[in-house]
Order: sequence, then structure tokens, then C-alpha cells
Amino acid sequence: MEPNVKELKKKTNGRELFWTLKPKSEKEAGESIVRNLLLHWFPAKTMLKSLSWSYSLWLGTISVALFLILAVTGVILMFLYVPSVERAYQSVKDIEYVVSFGWFIRAMHRNATHLMVAVVFLHMVRAFLTGAYKNGVGVGQNRPLNWIIGIILMLVTLFLAFTGYLLPWDQLAYWAVTVGTDIAKKVPLVGEQIRYALLGGYEIDQNTLIRFYVLHCFLLPAFVLILISYHMWRVRKDGGLAVVDSIVLNENKENKSNGSKSKTYSLLGLTTGRTVQVETTIRDEEKHTVNSVPSLTRRIGLVLLGTFVFVVIMSLFIGAPLEEPANPDVTPNPAKAPWYFLWLQELVTVTTFTIGGITFD
Amino acid sequence: MKLIRREFLNKLGIGSLIALFAGQLYMWIRSLFPNVSYGKLRRVKIGNPQDIPEGMTFRNDLKVYIFRERNTFHAISGVCTHLGCTVNHVNLSRPKTVRIGDRDIEVRSEFHCPCHGSKFYGEGTNYTGPAPRPLDWIELEIAPEDGKLVVDLDRKTTKNFKLTV
Repeated sequence: MEPNVKELKKKTNGRELFWTLKPKSEKEAGESIVRNLLLHWFPAKTMLKSLSWSYSLWLGTISVALFLILAVTGVILMFLYVPSVERAYQSVKDIEYVVSFGWFIRAMHRNATHLMVAVVFLHMVRAFLTGAYKNGVGVGQNRPLNWIIGIILMLVTLFLAFTGYLLPWDQLAYWAVTVGTDIAKKVPLVGEQIRYALLGGYEIDQNTLIRFYVLHCFLLPAFVLILISYHMWRVRKDGGLAVVDSIVLNENKENKSNGSKSKTYSLLGLTTGRTVQVETTIRDEEKHTVNSVPSLTRRIGLVLLGTFVFVVIMSLFIGAPLEEPANPDVTPNPAKAPWYFLWLQELVTVTTFTIGGITFD
Repeated sequence: MKLIRREFLNKLGIGSLIALFAGQLYMWIRSLFPNVSYGKLRRVKIGNPQDIPEGMTFRNDLKVYIFRERNTFHAISGVCTHLGCTVNHVNLSRPKTVRIGDRDIEVRSEFHCPCHGSKFYGEGTNYTGPAPRPLDWIELEIAPEDGKLVVDLDRKTTKNFKLTV
């Protein structure tokens, strides 16, 4: 009897070094969420439907996985890269040809970037097509706000990728950024000023390089981190993935027909009355949910691992390009913005029209 | 021993996972150890022996004092043995005789460290301050291909090593 009690005490007073990923009881499953800073993002129980591979395709999780890969490889590259016009190209060339595994780390960073732009976009497409930007019937839901946060995250991702584009300081970088920032110039009224502030002058030079470097390595990643955290927290506030809302709607229909009401709780069961409205949105919770540990964590682990392996294998075959050093006097043909700016480039083209002798952008 | 398939696959999965991350970690850490150094050279030709002036010459880039007495050369490191500041060479107004080891030696100059006040006699022996040991003597040699004097900072030598050309 005695050792059992001791063991139980040890397990329940929060002194364990590691949380369990193989819980033996409901209590353990809940505690492994509560005790872990990272897993705190997730509820103790997850709706079975939101774990589906085919509903969300886990594109948001893949985006986060790619962001993590970018953060780690980016920090390594920061140790090796010098953000100066005179030395940037040489340091990238060293990363590519002299540093052990430098080519691989750089390829991972580059490939993960392109994948992240694509996956974040697909994540948005998925949210749009499944109508995940609409509110369900839950209390305190604000899915439209999260949709807007998502759009901002998409734009920041684009800008992150774009600021990284200049850093190698080769012909590809220089001219892509020339074309890219010229697109910024087309913004009505303030376009010229935006370009001036972005470049720190009228042309791409040391000012531009250090601006892009600071944006790329600190400001934008920090911003993304904050936004991702809020994005995730909102998903939880909104009651999980949008697919859950349909369950609630269906249940409510049934409830109306058989006349039963949903449960109502006061805040934490402490306050009297219903000053704060907290209602369970689903009656038969047990039927639709599983413990997050291990059901959710296992899948997240798999997605992280899968993404990682994919990027690693991809980087073995597709390296990051490095052309000759940037030369403002020689424009290569074609000089293109990165592929993910094609839509902007075309947008500028189709919105440019000429009346008389005056051109409007 | 009976091998259960589920356990085997579990171990295989976790094992390959660990191998994968260990491999990555190795690459990341390995990349931070440079294969090429763009720092200062440690072995430098400082010129023809006859071009080096009589007396003391300080090479700021090497932090080395080169001494010449007619055809004899020696070099003493200017790096303080306490915490690595560069010591100053000070000529004494009148020579003094000190006992180093079991010999009386006439000292005409000293090295003073500006950082923590360590002092060394002209031949490198520390006599006051926190410096734990004498200044290093650096080996000099003549390059066989062009006869120039070579300083190699990685080759410390015994005290009183002198090169006669």
C-alpha cells in the first residue's frame, strides 16, 4: 500500500521532470497538457473530427514546422553570414563551398522558405474553401478576426521570404529586389516613400542590406511568432477547428426536436448566477472527443517529423542557387521578382492604364 | 529472446528519429567550426636580416619585440602572461644588476604591462605584479628559399635562444 501512495504523491504534486506522452489514465492525460508549457496551447481534450488528416490537411501545423526549421537553420546561418556589401557575397560563398555542411543548411533554409510560402497560401485556401472563416454558434467566437490574422501572417511570410532574398548579394538577389521594390513603388500616393524607406535611399546599397537583414532576422520573425501564438490561441478560443461547429449545429437541431437544453456553467463554478456566460457547446462531449495526449500530440509529432524529413530529402537534391556577385551595372535577362510576387507584378500590369498621355497605376 | 513486432517498430522509429536529429545537430555544430581562417597569419617573414634595425623593433601586428645585436637576433612576445595585454618596452635610465636564477645579470630595459602592473626584466623574467611566468621567447629562423627572417608565433622557444646570421 505504502509505495503506491508515495508514487501517486510523486506524480500529482508537479515535481516530475517529464510529462508523459503515454498516459495511463484520464488524469494523467490531462496533466501532461497542463504541466507542459508548449502543450498548454492545446485543450486537454480534442474533438475527434478536427484530428482528421483529410479535413485540414494539417497545413497550419506544417507551416509552423517549416517556421521552426527556418528559425534553427537561420540562427546557424547568422553565425556565418556578414551583412555588409563588401563581405556578404563572400560569406555566402564560403557557406556554400567552404563551411562544412554549409550548402546543406543553406539549401534547407531556402527550400523551407519556398515551401512555407506555398503551404501558408494553401492553408488559407483550405480555410476559405471549408468556410472556416465563418463563426459557428459558440459563445465568444471570432473566426473572422482569426482569418484576418491569417492574412496578415501570409503577408508577413511573403515579406520575410522577400527580405531574405537580398542577403546573398548576388545578381539574382540584387535584381529580384530591384524588381520587387519597384512593385512597392506602385502603391498609390505613398509608393515612392515606401520604396525610399525600404531601401534607405534611392538605390539598393548598404542601407538596404542592413535594413533587410534586421527585418529578416529579428523584427519579422518576432512578429510572426507573436501572431502565430495569437492565431493558435484564437483557434482554441473559438472552440477548435471550424469543423467542430458543424457538430454543434447538428446537435442543436436534435436538441430542439427533443426539447433538452445545453448545460450552463458559471465562471469556474465560483461565481453565482450567470455573470459570465460559459456554456458547453456540445452535450455528448465524450462521444466526440479524445485525450489530446497522446492522440493530438502524436499527430503533431508525425507532421513535424514528416515535414522535417521532406525538407531534408529535398535539400539533398535541390540546392540554393548562388550567381555571380551583385552588379548594378549589368541587368541579367530576365530580371524577375521571386515567383510568389508574380501575382503582384501582374496586378500592377493589369491595373496600369493610360488615358491621354497620363498613366495611372 | 522474443521480439514483439510493435516494440521493434517502436524502437526502430525512435532510433531513426534520434539518429536523424543527432545527424542534423552534428551538421549544425560542425558548420560553426571554420575550415578556413581569414585571421592574421601566425608565421610571417619580417624581412631581410640586414634590413632590421639595430636594437629593438616592435611588430604591432605580431605583438612581438625583435632584438638585434649586430648579427644576433632574438624575439620576445609582447603578450603579458597574466591576461594577454600588450606590454610596453621601457629603457632604464641607468642599468641595474639583478639576480635571476643563480646568475647576476645587467638589465638595461624592462617590460611593463599597462593593465595590471606586471613588470618583467629585459630578458622576460617577471619580477612583480600578477604575471605568473616570464614572457615567451619566440623562435626565429631563416627562410631557406630567400634568406628572410621568419617569426613563427606558434613556436615558443627556451629563454636565451638567439639566432646568429
